[in-house]
Amino acid sequence: MSIEEGVKYVASAYAIILAVLIIYYFMSARRVSALQRDVALLEDEAKRRQAPAGQAGVE
Amino acid sequence: MKKLLSAPALFAGAGICLIAGLLLAFWWAPADASSMGFSQKIFYYHAPIAEVALLAFGVAFAAAIAYLRTQNLKWDRLGLVSIRIGLLFSILVMLTGMIWGKAAWDAWWAWEPRLTTFLLVCFLYAAYWVLRSVVDEDQRRATYAAVFAIIAFIDVPITFFATRFLPEGLHPVVIQAGDSGMESSMLVSFLISMLGMTLLLVALIRRDLEIEELKDRVTDLKTSLGG
Repeated sequence: MSIEEGVKYVASAYAIILAVLIIYYFMSARRVSALQRDVALLEDEAKRRQAPAGQAGVE
Repeated sequence: MKKLLSAPALFAGAGICLIAGLLLAFWWAPADASSMGFSQKIFYYHAPIAEVALLAFGVAFAAAIAYLRTQNLKWDRLGLVSIRIGLLFSILVMLTGMIWGKAAWDAWWAWEPRLTTFLLVCFLYAAYWVLRSVVDEDQRRATYAAVFAIIAFIDVPITFFATRFLPEGLHPVVIQAGDSGMESSMLVSFLISMLGMTLLLVALIRRDLEIEELKDRVTDLKTSLGG
């Protein structure tokens, strides 16, 4: 097999590996950020709902 | 120590090793003297990815046993993410293996022992996802998934040893007991890539575990807020 042919196969293989791994890395990073945002929002909402109940108890 | 094992540190370590392995493979290790020539360079990522995929399924197997012993859902989560990442690596193995096959045997696919058993591994672990999706209750789903992960793992050692027990197949056996089958420069490049892929596996498992924990937290908060 000629070097040119070999380069074609090697480049394809490494391009697939790097593309898939990089895409998965960024997708999972985005997922973590989105979920952390959701958790923060829901925790704020839970605190907000608890606050009037607590205040009512004090009064 | 905790900082060294954090996901960002593991990703950085994996990146450094993978880049170093690649550079060494291309600029230090010699081209293969066999008919494959330059296309043998695929080996430096293909083989580590394959071994790390099987390692991920091994982690899932251990997690399944731990779950059945303790009924703790954290082991179910570990099994789930290990199989997810194992499947991702398996898909990469199949794709790069097909390119390797085309370069080495002039065929994208051959029904020989290693390829066939690896394809079976992929189908088995894909079926694991189907199984999980049809059971709603957490503990029951985790139990079924654990039992399935243990049964599916039977094919992993068969795949690993297929080329050793059935040497008439096309797939080469490079590393054997007591013989790496490679020149030292090739072996070092391979081992550094292998270390990089292992670190990447650990980093991805850690991050996916974090995702699963956050998903559970969101579900709990939504339930406590009444919807």
